Amino acid sequence: MTAAALVVKQLVKRYGNLTAVAGVDLEIHPGELMGLIGPDGAGKSSLMKAIAGVMSYDQGSIHIRGHSVSTEREAEVVKPMVGFMPQGLGQNLYPDLSIEENIDFVANLRLVPAEAMAQRKERLLRMTRLDAFTKRPMKNLSGGMKQKLGLICTLLHEPALIILDEPTTGVDPVSRRDFWTILSELLVQRGISALVSSAYLDEASRFDRVALMHQGAILVQGKPQELLQLVPATVVHVRLADQMAGLAQLRTHFPKTLGFGEWIRILVPTADRQQASERVRQILGELPCQELLCEAPELEDVVVERLSADQHETAATIPRAPPRHHAAPAPLARGALAIEAQALSKTFGAFRAVDHVSFRIPQGEIFGLLGANGAGKTTVIKMLTGILRPNSGDGQVAGVDMSHSGPMIRQRIGYMSQSFSLYFDLTVEENLKLYAAIYGVSRHEQRSRLPWILAVTELTARRSALVATLPMGVRQRLALGCALIHAPPILFLDEPTSGVDPLGRRRFWDILFQLARQEGVAMLITTHYMTEAEYCDHLALMHAGAVIADDSPLGMKQTLVARLGHVFEVETQDPYRAQQLLQQSDFPHAHLHGRRVRLFSQDETAIVERRIMARLASQGLGVPGISRSIPTMEDVFIENVLEMERRGRMAAAP
Amino acid sequence: MNLKRLEATAAKEIREMLRDRFFLILAFVSPPVMMVIFGYGMNLDVENIPFVIVDYDNTPQSREYASHYTHSRYFHFLGYVKDQREAQQLILRARIRVAIVIPEHFGRRLAQGRSTAIQTLMDGANPLRANMTKSYIIAINSQVSLQQVTDFMATVRGIPRREAETMLQPVRLEVRYLYNQGAKSRWSMVPKMIMMVLMMAPPFLTAVAVVREKERGSILNIYSSTVTKAEFLIGKLSPYAAVTAINGLVLWALATQLFAVPFKGSFLFFVLATMAYTSCTTGIGLLVSLFVSTQAAAIVVTMIVTLIPAMLYSGIIIPLSSMGPVPRFLALLTPAMHYTQIVDGTFLKGQGLLELWRPLVVLAGYGMALFVIGHRLFTKRPRA
Repeated sequence: MTAAALVVKQLVKRYGNLTAVAGVDLEIHPGELMGLIGPDGAGKSSLMKAIAGVMSYDQGSIHIRGHSVSTEREAEVVKPMVGFMPQGLGQNLYPDLSIEENIDFVANLRLVPAEAMAQRKERLLRMTRLDAFTKRPMKNLSGGMKQKLGLICTLLHEPALIILDEPTTGVDPVSRRDFWTILSELLVQRGISALVSSAYLDEASRFDRVALMHQGAILVQGKPQELLQLVPATVVHVRLADQMAGLAQLRTHFPKTLGFGEWIRILVPTADRQQASERVRQILGELPCQELLCEAPELEDVVVERLSADQHETAATIPRAPPRHHAAPAPLARGALAIEAQALSKTFGAFRAVDHVSFRIPQGEIFGLLGANGAGKTTVIKMLTGILRPNSGDGQVAGVDMSHSGPMIRQRIGYMSQSFSLYFDLTVEENLKLYAAIYGVSRHEQRSRLPWILAVTELTARRSALVATLPMGVRQRLALGCALIHAPPILFLDEPTSGVDPLGRRRFWDILFQLARQEGVAMLITTHYMTEAEYCDHLALMHAGAVIADDSPLGMKQTLVARLGHVFEVETQDPYRAQQLLQQSDFPHAHLHGRRVRLFSQDETAIVERRIMARLASQGLGVPGISRSIPTMEDVFIENVLEMERRGRMAAAP
Repeated sequence: MNLKRLEATAAKEIREMLRDRFFLILAFVSPPVMMVIFGYGMNLDVENIPFVIVDYDNTPQSREYASHYTHSRYFHFLGYVKDQREAQQLILRARIRVAIVIPEHFGRRLAQGRSTAIQTLMDGANPLRANMTKSYIIAINSQVSLQQVTDFMATVRGIPRREAETMLQPVRLEVRYLYNQGAKSRWSMVPKMIMMVLMMAPPFLTAVAVVREKERGSILNIYSSTVTKAEFLIGKLSPYAAVTAINGLVLWALATQLFAVPFKGSFLFFVLATMAYTSCTTGIGLLVSLFVSTQAAAIVVTMIVTLIPAMLYSGIIIPLSSMGPVPRFLALLTPAMHYTQIVDGTFLKGQGLLELWRPLVVLAGYGMALFVIGHRLFTKRPRA
């Protein structure tokens, strides 16, 4: 019997008083792709570093192919078998060295024989399509390219187990899919085992098995399909004329009901879709239901279910805001134009960070800017808030020209930055009072405003706690509270949910949703979580500084269905060959997704299934299963980018 | 020890150093710049003291007395002022450091063979400078007095001046400065500045180079690969040792050419001792890098652990022989003190291995010990 690639038993890792990993059990079989998914601070990196033998641990045991990794000496023994890629874009690379020099350095460090090295280098560079850039210094590579180079450096010595720490966080979706495809190919071809962590729950379906981590422990682990069965439920989406009334009514029966753009998303605890939709209709009663859709629950629902089981906090309805003080900026009428960007452009040296970006956000709308790190999202926000001067283009915020009314704009907007800008040695209330003072909110007004903010952000019980002692999700709500202190009619939120756990993210979005609907606040929010984008009323997809699509989330999906059709996922024994066969035949969009092949088709399900089976059977490949679904937000993003690039090439061709 | 891995590490380090402008400046530009700044700045000679004279007498005798000051290289004469009040004002505004007040009837009293007093007003704000100034004035004044008495006696007794002089000063003091005939502080300070610069620059370089790799996370490449600790440390630090050796030569050239300090000893020995010394300072940088995790912290800590002991205990300011037992013991622990003996000996005294083998052995041993400790403390599997 072959030894397991990795066995972890009751692993504990502490930093001083903080327990980062609290008794984790994990096993990876040879050739298996295991996912480790969780928010920042869940203990993923600590666990992975301990396994890779680059950090000591406190209790428990780690065995790699039967070898223990409990001392520095023992760790040296397993290092030839392990490849480790740490978290962060290009973290283990040297910025001033070229692609080739980085590869050569790692290969020499690993004593790869010259002949084997030339061969592997050539193959890996070709596979990652980095072969055209071998002389380029690493610091001039895009995020996606850095990650691919990092992957090459991890694979040069042909390890039996590779450990990749968040290789896709912040990378643009096209490069991300590319990365996964390369990884899948390698695993399928070479039989390597892999432990890969991710902050994105929607990446779970790419793994053979996943472990969901939270606060140092594994919440659940298993095959992604099996995990979904853990919560027998149906997600019902309804669209109503009176969304707020419907939300209030549905919440009394189903606490996990959320506003979702112009929809309401309800988790009904029954797998029977018929029954689920009937129950929803029944509760809505008199309220006319314009549209109703049923879907299977997502992994996020499973996580939220697990987390809320021991946190028993129900979604609360936020109280109405106290009347505005006469000095506060007058609220704009709902539907009036709150923010407008007109062909905004910004260049930094030769780099075009933002390229003719235009959009309009009416009062009361949640508008999302979705894009990877470096797509230009933060630069757009900085220009609209008057922090950065655009090279060209105009912007209006609350009816005021952004370019020469910076101070006036700042009185009318709330700004929550990526880093939250809180003072860690002050209490919750002191932070709020500080921001109140900064924005010139009078003491009299503070008396009515502070209790409301504490109630909205659910921080009343923690008002005297030091910020340093609060978990990430709570700090995030406090930062929102600070941005709301002067009752601004417009909010700018720059990646407010990065690294926060799913439950915290949902609560945060619920507050945003109610602020928009009830108080009529307009919001511009940026994010790199594809799934989160669906909470927005309206979306703009940003890629390489430009807006490549601008529509409601559902509208975007429908456009894609109209253009390419539905998504089909094909299970087969040899996914790599199957993908190549299908790509060469009728399905140019076929790509590897974990061990399945994904493709688009506009034809009837039965016809598509027959064609796929016939194509694969002719090459002796069996097809145990085919399933159909609607495209994800990631599909929308990727296909939009690819379409734009295709058009760009056509325009460039003579 | 696998040479291929060592070589790969060193080659990578050299490439990074040459391509990173900040590093290139830190490595090659900052040491000579520090040397020039220190070399001109660390001059302890008190010369050109600005002063004025208040002459209430205004006779040929008083002017003759004043000329002894106006012609001295220690004083810089700014002119006559009319009274003490004005002189005080000038001292208050720091325009002058001292005023010489010649009283009325100065000339007449001297001619009568009666004693007279000269008043000096001095800026006591800086006691060191005031004391030096006072001793210059005392020396000039006693020389003038002696001349007066000699002249008087020669005239009264009708004997030659030389005879009168011998009678008045039976014991004469003769000083000869060995090794530094002009007692120029620059000759003594500039070689010590080589010691200072080589105490600061190499640890900066090594600490930042190692910590940068930690801060960036690329150290995980090292941790997760099979390269040994010794291979990594030697490969990582040897390029900086080479840079430092080059810098040592540049500093030596600056001292002998720009500052024109004579070098009388064995050059070969000096090179050898400098290498031993820089192995110590590089080792200090290595130790610092093991305890801090950011480049900013590395810079601050290096500054504190190198600069302060080198200033206080190397003998630059306070001679080793004037220290009490505790500071003396501390001085023995600083490589700076041992290397100061070497630069003093080789530059000015013409010494070599024969006289200075002891500090050389201490430095070599010290450097070796630092690397053994560094190797022990460096771990590829840290706690965090």
